[in-house]
Amino acid sequence: MAIGIAILLAGSAIAQTQKPTLKPVPRTADGKPDLSGVWVGGGFALLFGDAELEAIKQYDAAAGRKPLPPPEPPPYKPDAEKKRQEFLARKGIDDPMARCLLSGVPRITVRPLPFEIIQQPHRVVIIYEVHHAFRFIPTDGRGHPDDMEPSYLGDSVGRWEGDTLVVDVTGFNTNTWLVGVGTFHSEKLRVTERYTRDTHDTIIYEATMEDPEVLTKPWKQYATLRLRPGERIREYECIENNEDIQRFEKLLQTDFNK
Amino acid sequence: MKFACVIALSLLAGTSAVSAHHSFAAEYEGDKPVTITGTVAKIDWHNPHIYFYVDVKDAKGVVTQWKVEGYPPNMLVRQGWKKDETMKVGDTVKVFGWRARANPTQAAGRDVTFADGKKLNCGPPAGTGGQ
Repeated sequence: MAIGIAILLAGSAIAQTQKPTLKPVPRTADGKPDLSGVWVGGGFALLFGDAELEAIKQYDAAAGRKPLPPPEPPPYKPDAEKKRQEFLARKGIDDPMARCLLSGVPRITVRPLPFEIIQQPHRVVIIYEVHHAFRFIPTDGRGHPDDMEPSYLGDSVGRWEGDTLVVDVTGFNTNTWLVGVGTFHSEKLRVTERYTRDTHDTIIYEATMEDPEVLTKPWKQYATLRLRPGERIREYECIENNEDIQRFEKLLQTDFNK
Repeated sequence: MKFACVIALSLLAGTSAVSAHHSFAAEYEGDKPVTITGTVAKIDWHNPHIYFYVDVKDAKGVVTQWKVEGYPPNMLVRQGWKKDETMKVGDTVKVFGWRARANPTQAAGRDVTFADGKKLNCGPPAGTGGQ
């Protein structure tokens, strides 16, 4: 068995010595970087095997990509932080996601399921495998509509700043977590997303979350979105046989959080 | 608590812990790994997670049925699984995973080794969830 593993590792090491090909960032007819394609923004250890994780490292090294800034804890006000700690102590049992509710922004971007970006001259459309969700992001200069209702994904308006797509998202309800266990927010949440296709295979994703109700200052988080050639958006219907709610009720009768 | 903290700090980092759906730490104990070997009795190939049931016989011949939770179908196909082909009722399998808190014969499956030696991931690493 040990020998078998050693041979397998040696085999994959040989395969990985090939240098990744670095293609230029594609552009649309109007000269903008073309973000179109199927991407994934989180859960790489779930989605990819060891060889592919290694290939990602090699690609980043060959492309001269620098590590993203390290994650920072959310800058909650004291009362809000207390509430977040309670959510943490309950091990995520209160997670809206476990009840199959639609994730908001930026969390939906880092769920471990792919999404497809379709870039058009007047708008960008994002179709997410998770929740069958979609976002229309106009880039034709219009603002937010004046009849917004609070919603899970909010309302998005985009603009180009050089080679970066900047998306202003507002009009959220309070049924989502920002990113990570217990990261609740108010209806005053505003998220600014920045999508920069820094190489052919990657987008640097930056999300700045502002919520004067619960945060002391803007909270900035980053992720690398990775291109998934040959991938297609499949179906994932979370509510089909979700046993979590019944299980959580059972767990709450125990000392599971001690 | 330990897993929840790890998840909270992982946040948006590219290789951070995430699950397709729910919190691992709430339902499973990542410090209680378990390996079971037995015969597949039933497969529920459905969302948001598949479940398969394995009849495990002890030294005295007493059979206990384990319930194993795995990825949803859309993630299993990306790990090389095919419905009705990769795993069939009656197959002998070895499953590695972690014990459930509320059910002594339930586990979160990580990988399955089949009779021909083929091994496939069937679920996420311990401690993921809640991203």
